Amino acid sequence: MLTEIQQGKALNSVVKHITQEKINLYAEASGDFNPIHVDESFAAKTPFGGTIAHGMLNLAYVSEMMTSAFGRSWVSGGKLRAKFKESARPGDTLTITGKIDCIEQKSDVSYANCNFECRNQRGETIVTGEATVRLSGGKE
Amino acid sequence: MPDKTVSYEELAVGYKFPPATYELNASFVSKYLRAVDSSGDGFVPPLAITACAVATMTKLIPLPPGTIAIHASQELEFLKLVPIGTTIECRIGVAQKIARGKMSMLILELEVFDKGKEKVQSGRATIALPT
Repeated sequence: MLTEIQQGKALNSVVKHITQEKINLYAEASGDFNPIHVDESFAAKTPFGGTIAHGMLNLAYVSEMMTSAFGRSWVSGGKLRAKFKESARPGDTLTITGKIDCIEQKSDVSYANCNFECRNQRGETIVTGEATVRLSGGKE
Repeated sequence: MPDKTVSYEELAVGYKFPPATYELNASFVSKYLRAVDSSGDGFVPPLAITACAVATMTKLIPLPPGTIAIHASQELEFLKLVPIGTTIECRIGVAQKIARGKMSMLILELEVFDKGKEKVQSGRATIALPT
C-alpha cells in the first residue's frame, strides 16, 4: 500500500505480458467465450485481424494497481470510469500507470481522485480513465 | 444462467435481462486469479464480479453472424467486500440505445447483489454493436 497519500503521488505501476493462454484462461474464468478473444480463425477475418484480450482483463490490471495502492479502501469504496481505446493482443506487454490527481474533502469524508492509463510496448493507449477512492471518514 | 439472446428490437430502454446468479467459490476465484496473473487476499477481486456481469451481457446481446460487439467504456462502483463463497445475482438493464448508421451504442446498467440483497457493485457499460 502507499505509505504517503498526497496530490501528485505516482502509484506503483503494474506490467503484464498478454498471451493467448492468459486470454483463454480469462475466458474460462469469466465464461466470456466471445470468438474475437478465443477463436483465431474467426478473429483473423475481423477488422482486428486476430484475437484480442478482453477489455475487462486489461481493466483487471488497473484494479490490481489500485488495490496495491489503496487496499480494501479500493475494493469496498472505489469507483472508476474507463475508456477502452485500443485492443491488447497476444504478445503485447502492458504497463499500467496511475497518479493521485487530488485529495478531495466532501463533508467529513476524504477521497483520492486518480487517473490511470494502460499502454502497450509501442506506447499506444489501451485503456484510460479516472478512479476515486474513499480514504476515511463517513459511513464505513 | 440465462443463455438465450433477445432480438435487437427487444433491447429497448428499460428492458431488463433475466437476472443471472453465480457462486463465487474458491475454485472460481483461483481460476480468475490465475487468469489475471495476480494473488488474492481472501476476498473476491471486484473485477472478478464484474467479469461475471459482463459475460452475462455478452451472452445475451444479439449479434449478426460473423460480427462482433465492442466494449467501449465501463463505469464501476465497488460498494462492499465480497467473501469467497458468496452467491451473487447480476441484474442488467438497457439504460440508453443510440443508433449511429449501421452501428448502435447500447448503454447498459449493471447491479450486483449478494444473497442478503445488499448491492455489492454497480456500473454502466457502453457496448457498440452492428445492427
